[in-house]
Amino acid sequence: MIRRTFQVAMSLGSHRVLPGAPCVLPRLNPTSAFGSSTDSLVSRFCPEKMDMKDYALPNASWCPDMLNLYQEFLEKTKTDGWIKLPSFKSNRDHIQGLKLPFGLAVASDKNDWRICTRCIQEEGQGYEYVIFFHPSEKKSICLFQPGPYLEGAPGFAHGGSLAAMMDEVFSKTAYLAGEGLFTLSLNIRFKNLIPVGSLAVLNVDVEKIEDQKLYISCIAQSRDQQRVYAKCSGVFLQLQLEEESSQ
Amino acid sequence: MDLSLPNPSWSKDMRLLFDQFMKKSEDGSWKHLPSYKNKFSRRIEDIKVFFPDAKLIKEKISQAQLFPRNFEEGLGFEYAMFHNHAEDRTVCIFQGGPYLQGAPGFLHGGAIATMIDSTLGMTALIAGGIVMTANLNINFKRPIPLCSVVVINSQVDKVEGRKLFLSCNIRSVDEQTLYSEATRLYPTNVCGIAVQKWLCYHGLFVKLDPEKSLT
Repeated sequence: MIRRTFQVAMSLGSHRVLPGAPCVLPRLNPTSAFGSSTDSLVSRFCPEKMDMKDYALPNASWCPDMLNLYQEFLEKTKTDGWIKLPSFKSNRDHIQGLKLPFGLAVASDKNDWRICTRCIQEEGQGYEYVIFFHPSEKKSICLFQPGPYLEGAPGFAHGGSLAAMMDEVFSKTAYLAGEGLFTLSLNIRFKNLIPVGSLAVLNVDVEKIEDQKLYISCIAQSRDQQRVYAKCSGVFLQLQLEEESSQ
Repeated sequence: MDLSLPNPSWSKDMRLLFDQFMKKSEDGSWKHLPSYKNKFSRRIEDIKVFFPDAKLIKEKISQAQLFPRNFEEGLGFEYAMFHNHAEDRTVCIFQGGPYLQGAPGFLHGGAIATMIDSTLGMTALIAGGIVMTANLNINFKRPIPLCSVVVINSQVDKVEGRKLFLSCNIRSVDEQTLYSEATRLYPTNVCGIAVQKWLCYHGLFVKLDPEKSLT
């Protein structure tokens, strides 16, 4: 059932209009062929009042580099159009009132399900990260500090944990830039290992949006840009979320 | 403690597959690969040779915990690997738990990437000794439901000097649904000096066709 539903979604997606959306942009709009503009997606994604815990805030485990750069970007949220994205325990908290389209929604979602990059909740042990998004330039910066539970080679972060971090930043950026929902492909070139407990800066750019696909790229490097950890490019499928019915 | 053995969190599908492969192991053609949380704690000498930049202290080594094994039973990565020496391929049966969610109800792409990296890594390790990933290329075909079981089939496609080219696909239990395919390039390190050479060579590899099917 899932396979067929996914295929149907891919063929119908470009013809759907988000029902009940306040301002639906026409399909001919080259920057947003889908219903919702980046601004409306961002405002829904970043609620003013939050009941849920935001994990993308400094804590005692953050290294000095991470704290400094965080402050720098916090300043830029006041002047240069950057937005700090909240980070909740589950993606379901990010899309409250919305659900996956075309029957992909899972009826029973248990409350203890967690998003992969917030799987380890002890401070400093797993993924410590914060994402800043720039709506008009459609780019993101992620400050990522891998903890000891993400180890692969001793003293260094597991390649899979960096892949998961990149996929997560891609996922949030793709969603806000153009309703990208599912990863179609990831191509990662690993250059150097990231030492556990150190800061990696991920610079993410949306390259283009065409044929219901979002093309996105990332460079992960040290703060001084002297050491490149990995480069990655990805493709995401555009799919609109549906409003949850009030039945 | 070997974590790639059945525990109460394993679903029926996972147990069935495990038993199938254990049965295949009886004649020696397949071999179950044990998996521990503290993978490197016994090879300090190897670590210093291959990772000269690693700032290692004794306490840190004793804390070293392999990422996919850092979860309570059933919450993260539940997996077991089997290797076929004659065919040079590895199969991983994988059940992704509730702490690996991406889109609500589905497995996170990064969790899938982690398991692909781990499975291909094991295949490369057996084929070529100490290895590091240079490139990972994944094509996702359809989303994997959270807490379902998938089979990752990986193999070595070719070896060129110190570079290993591998590929894998991920299928549902009944092997009808194809979830994703991946190729990976691994340079191998024969000795400590080779680590530095690899860092210069990584730009020269050629990606293999990810559509190549396993037969």
